Amino acid sequence: MKQKKFSHAGGLFFRMLRLFVMLLFAGVSLPSLAVADDGAVNTQERIAPVAEVRLQGQPPVEMVAAPAQKKAQVVEPEAAPQPSRKDYPNVGISSRAIVWVLAQMHLFFGALVLAVPLFVLMIELVGVFTGDDRYDDMAHEFMKISLTGFSITAIFGGSLALALFMLYPDFMGYMMHVFGAQVLVYALMFFFESFFLYVYYYGWNAFRYGNLKWVHLTLGLLLNASGLTIMLLANSWATFMMAPSGVNEVGAVVGNVWEIMKGPLWNPINLHRFIANIGFGGAVVGAYAAFKFLSTGDPAKRAHYDWMGYTSNFIAILAFLPLPFAGYWLMAEIYAYSQQMGITAMGGILAWLFIVQAVLIGTILLAGNFYLWSGMSRTDGSERYKGLIKIIAFVLVVSFLIWVTPHTLILSAAEISLLGGSHHHILGPLGIMPAKNIAVNLMLIATFLSFQLYRRSDKVATVGWAPLGNALLIGVYVAAVANIVFLGVYFGYFTNTVYKVGSSVAQVGTTLVVIVFGLVIDSLMFRNARVLSSHWGRIPDRSQYALFALPIAFTWLMALMGYVRSSVKTHWHVYTVMKDNSPDNFIPTIGYAGNMITLVTILFLLCVLFMFWVANLSGSRQAKPEPVVGGVA
Amino acid sequence: MEAQKNIGILGRLLAVVIAIAIMLVVFYGLDHLIMGMQGLPLNPDLSPAG
Repeated sequence: MKQKKFSHAGGLFFRMLRLFVMLLFAGVSLPSLAVADDGAVNTQERIAPVAEVRLQGQPPVEMVAAPAQKKAQVVEPEAAPQPSRKDYPNVGISSRAIVWVLAQMHLFFGALVLAVPLFVLMIELVGVFTGDDRYDDMAHEFMKISLTGFSITAIFGGSLALALFMLYPDFMGYMMHVFGAQVLVYALMFFFESFFLYVYYYGWNAFRYGNLKWVHLTLGLLLNASGLTIMLLANSWATFMMAPSGVNEVGAVVGNVWEIMKGPLWNPINLHRFIANIGFGGAVVGAYAAFKFLSTGDPAKRAHYDWMGYTSNFIAILAFLPLPFAGYWLMAEIYAYSQQMGITAMGGILAWLFIVQAVLIGTILLAGNFYLWSGMSRTDGSERYKGLIKIIAFVLVVSFLIWVTPHTLILSAAEISLLGGSHHHILGPLGIMPAKNIAVNLMLIATFLSFQLYRRSDKVATVGWAPLGNALLIGVYVAAVANIVFLGVYFGYFTNTVYKVGSSVAQVGTTLVVIVFGLVIDSLMFRNARVLSSHWGRIPDRSQYALFALPIAFTWLMALMGYVRSSVKTHWHVYTVMKDNSPDNFIPTIGYAGNMITLVTILFLLCVLFMFWVANLSGSRQAKPEPVVGGVA
Repeated sequence: MEAQKNIGILGRLLAVVIAIAIMLVVFYGLDHLIMGMQGLPLNPDLSPAG
């Protein structure tokens, strides 16, 4: 009976799915036709009378030129508008500040709700393959947390659109002109995303087993596909503003919408945001798990939320490890596109923000490592590795200090005289990129080692070659550290700039080799390993504060680097094509930017608390009031 | 379950030294490969050949 009910639900689902696929194709093909026709048939022609209508006693109606004559005319493409100061409405508050807050809040929540379904789908898939219902329940709970986030994203997105159209009408008019019907595809994707989201979330228990589970997984896949498409489309607007393509030097559209979208920075941003979103999403849901862990005394619930917190941290740190490399690619492409833009980012006023970035990344890595070390107390087998924690901590702290060392200092004449120059003779060389490249790669390797030790702590290898495997692993780490230090010192300080930049790619390659070798050796060595008992919930309370630190640092970092990315355009709406003539067409002081970044971070965290509260509310039920004797309540 | 080979402390030390040597060769090759792919050839002693 139950099966029949499921089959009926499945049939209905497939019919609806077919309808949506048809709509999807219609949505993609119709706007592209509209774009194709745009050049040939203009508005004047479309609304022109089809025949001469003449009233008695009136002069003849002037007709629009015949199509044959029109085609002979050369249509000049429309250049980007150049608004003057008076074209920007003044609402009494800085327009930039309004858009800044709304855009950043929209991006925060957008990142969250795009990321959570991604790893929820992965966790659900693990649950299917392992047959362990706990994975399924955890994935469902992750979705529950993020559900409110979808509404908040839409609220901020709508507010942002209204603010942009009101405060920057010429700029928005130009963007609409350039991207045309692509923005309608973007809107259409929201319908798909909402449909898949609600069916995916509310259908969780209805499509739980057998073939229907695969239907549910497909829904999750389609939810992610529509979410990712939304992200890619929105990214194309941001990257067009930084590095316009498909337009000529005055901003007139000369290419089709695909040529406009696929600018030189589009894919680096796509990759960077995709990875960063996953790390950010993992960190936020980890804070929820920590909050639930600390607020309950029930051992079963503590065990559940401990496991949930561990999984969240695992996702956050795993996504975070390749993030610096994606960021490196993005910066390299920015430099390749415009050296001026690259220097503005990393050599001018914004360079100081990279020092703040180092502090925040250091916080993330230290918090993530501390959580892993604390988590090792869940198993008795971790005693074997505790000695290594001190070495890892030492490497992390020293690397962190190198990373935060600035190159130039703001000094008085007396201080310069005392120092013997503008740079400290020992600390000065640590302020430039080669030293920082060594530091960041060592921090990533140390973090991966923490992961590896954690994963090993509840297992004992049983294969005969385990001692040789361990020796090989030591060899990998030692040789990798030697190679990274050699590449950084030799090419960074003793060769030319081209080799210096090139050697950083070899450093990244070395770090990736460590990760790949580590995973391969461990997966082979711990096959059929003896598993020691793990005690979920047996973790010090202080470890949970690391899970709170992660989303705070992640959020701050996103706000900070998002600001840097946007600011490198300096006084341009669209770089080199459309000037920003608004009263805010300058890079603000670091202090002002810092305050704005902090403001949006706090606002986001308040909204996240609201989101957690709502997620918690759905699971609570008020007890029915006892009737009062005498009939008066 | 396989019996783990007891190679002793010296054996372990030797294994580690050999492993480090092997991995240094691997990274030496990797440096040549990655720098070469970027159009930045290296001499056998890893100094810039360009």
